[in-house]
Amino acid sequence: MLRIATGFASLRRALRTGRTGPAVASIVVSAAIALAAGGALAAPPKGGAANIAMIGEPQTLDPMASTADLVGTIMLHVYELLYTFDANWNVAPMLAESLPAISNGGVVYTIPLRKGVKFHNGHEMSSDDVLASLKRWMDTAPRGKAVGKEVKSLEAKGPNAIVITLNRPYAPLLAHLALPNGFAAIMAKDSIATPLTQFVGTGPYMFKERKPDQYVQLVRFDGYSARSEPASGYAGKREALLDELRFIPVPNANTRVEGSLSGQYHFADLLPVESYARLESAANVKPVLTAPFGFPYLVLNTKQGPLTNVALRQAVQAGLNDADMLGAGFGDPKFYSADANHYAKNTPFYSTAGTDQYGKGDAKKAAAMIAAAKYDGTPIKILTSQQYDFHYRIALVMAENLKAAGFKTDMQVVDWSTLIQRRNDPALWDIYITHSAVLPEPTLTPPQLGDGAPGWWSSPAKDAALAAFNAESDAKKRGALWGNIQSVVYAEVPYIRVGNFNSVTARSTKLEGYVAMPWPFFWNTGLQK
Amino acid sequence: MTRYLASRFAGMAVVMLLVATLVFFITRLAPGDPAAVMLGEQASAADIAQLRASYGLDKPLPVQFAYWLKELARGNLGQSIFLQRPVTQALWERAEPTLFLTLFSIAIAALIGVPCGIVSAVWRGRAIDQVFSGFAMLGASIPSFWFGLILMQIFAVALGWFPVAGYGDPGVPLADRLHHLVLPAIVLGVVNSALILRFTRASMLDVLGEDHIRTARAKGASEPRVILHHALRNALIPVLTVLGLTFALLVGGAIVTETVFGLPGIGNLVVSAVLRRDYPVIQGALLVIAGLYVLINLAVDLLYLVVDPRVTY
Repeated sequence: MLRIATGFASLRRALRTGRTGPAVASIVVSAAIALAAGGALAAPPKGGAANIAMIGEPQTLDPMASTADLVGTIMLHVYELLYTFDANWNVAPMLAESLPAISNGGVVYTIPLRKGVKFHNGHEMSSDDVLASLKRWMDTAPRGKAVGKEVKSLEAKGPNAIVITLNRPYAPLLAHLALPNGFAAIMAKDSIATPLTQFVGTGPYMFKERKPDQYVQLVRFDGYSARSEPASGYAGKREALLDELRFIPVPNANTRVEGSLSGQYHFADLLPVESYARLESAANVKPVLTAPFGFPYLVLNTKQGPLTNVALRQAVQAGLNDADMLGAGFGDPKFYSADANHYAKNTPFYSTAGTDQYGKGDAKKAAAMIAAAKYDGTPIKILTSQQYDFHYRIALVMAENLKAAGFKTDMQVVDWSTLIQRRNDPALWDIYITHSAVLPEPTLTPPQLGDGAPGWWSSPAKDAALAAFNAESDAKKRGALWGNIQSVVYAEVPYIRVGNFNSVTARSTKLEGYVAMPWPFFWNTGLQK
Repeated sequence: MTRYLASRFAGMAVVMLLVATLVFFITRLAPGDPAAVMLGEQASAADIAQLRASYGLDKPLPVQFAYWLKELARGNLGQSIFLQRPVTQALWERAEPTLFLTLFSIAIAALIGVPCGIVSAVWRGRAIDQVFSGFAMLGASIPSFWFGLILMQIFAVALGWFPVAGYGDPGVPLADRLHHLVLPAIVLGVVNSALILRFTRASMLDVLGEDHIRTARAKGASEPRVILHHALRNALIPVLTVLGLTFALLVGGAIVTETVFGLPGIGNLVVSAVLRRDYPVIQGALLVIAGLYVLINLAVDLLYLVVDPRVTY
């Protein structure tokens, strides 16, 4: 059965990477072995408590208030959204009964709601709760505010449907409503407050207790109303098999590794890639590689300083060796891929537009571009942090690449809190390093594709490409339109997407039914006695 | 004595006011922003500014300082930005692991340091002295995070005798929680025993050379009585001072060990608060640690009265 689960997980990964052949073979072989070994497929066992080691203490438990992944990962067990993503990153209904009816040229979304869905306080969900939740999200949440600008009105259509009317066609709406990060959580109306003190959702787990720096404890919600479709990614049937989930903050990565190996943690999030071999050789733990998990990117300051000159930004791009930077950041190529295309081949947004500009460390070409742009020798201020060691290691290679091309550099290493404050001041930096999860909808990240994010990229070409993309709801046409945006990004260099990296997590061999997704989840997951 | 105590308390009040002022301004003048940390990567500058205003962080620093002092005078250390609870409650929740870890560590350090220091002094220059002096050098030089990880790999991962990290599952009894403190207490105890060993040895060597020791031996007192009664009691004052200072340091300073072992202690609280710029927690925790520090110093000074009858205040 364990082999079956592994086979399904590899198929899901393969569907996303386009390499289905070996995965299908794997699932078939796994099924054959399991059936030969003992007959019928058994569901993961029910009961028990899982200790889940997370990278730290969540900033808040309000799922709307923060776009930190840690907050979303924990609270997506408590709160659900109208929509979610299946294993192939298609939007699928969760609290909505079905996909919306879109009318009036793509500006009116009528969303039917499921009936009989209970909140943790026993009340039945209605359009009142959904409207109050979405209103709070659009008024207060960083992601929701961006969506709110596109929304003309939000109203109930009886107790079991809502209608969202947009100012203009805005195709990313459903992806925004499905994303479990800074998310549009549906909350019981009478629990809504700012700050949020009661966490009353409809999820398979209920909030029980938070002891800072010890645990966030969730317990099974016996009144959970599951969907009937088969589970797929975050979509479909959810069943709380475990009695209890304990999200334990363990900021020291080595401690997360040792705790997994000792059996104290049943799951450990985001482990150092160096630990992979140790985890692989242990009998009681399985390393889980999520590929691709995220991408490091360099934001260039288009508002102030030398890099306001687009020719110099292009010279930076030409001079950087993206593969070398990834190698410094992640070591073994097993943990990264130097992809020039922003989206993988099997996704609707795969495009090679502009990718001939992907950095290959051509110092001669960069030097010629610098000379042509009449660079005055002002040092390029590189802002980075050691909180994520791969940021720092990438910055070191970047600085050397830039020096080889003829730039002067001024590396400023600060703590993460300082970096995210200083990046809001255009006078303090020219390039900063950060990273993002790989998200299914291109406009969800990086924030530089929106307005006002650090870097302050604004251009007619950007506006035109984004407007066309956001207005188009046909998935096939959107793929081609994304190519135009990617092309503008390579031409104007507001940010440089270095490539993709994979995450390493560890799960106990006792944890059954676990499916690897970027935000780990533990419904449909059981613990062997 | 009363005058002495009154003057010490007056001095303490001045120290605490200075600490409060320094802590407030150093914390606020450091770069970084709790609102940006709270909102995460995708937040806009406008979102951050709005959240800063909701916490009153947009007000001028003197206004914020005056408000904080006013609340402090009422015994209110403020409300944590991230933990959504009063700072006093957050500190109280951390008191148990920190207190027990400190007590266990001090006990281990004293049980290793004092006897080994005595033996080293009595058999000065012999092989046993060399061994203990070597141990002291080793103990003082081992990085506590490395020692912690080694103990973790041997006793928690390989042998499974102790948990790797944390402070127990929800609702477990005290004995189970204390079980989680054994490895970190050994780390801190061994590392701190080096200093106590060195102080005990030096102090004993000084006392063993004094006239009253020779007199005691001349009067026919047994060697154990000479060492434990006549020498050790007199040698204890500097050792007590070191034990007191170590205790005070461990209350807020076991940061590395608490982080490696994932213990929800005060040191860990301060580190998380600094990384997130949770100003009320940083200010409140440092103020409480400073208060404990001066109180423990006072307690050690008063202990001198018990140990050495020649001391008067």
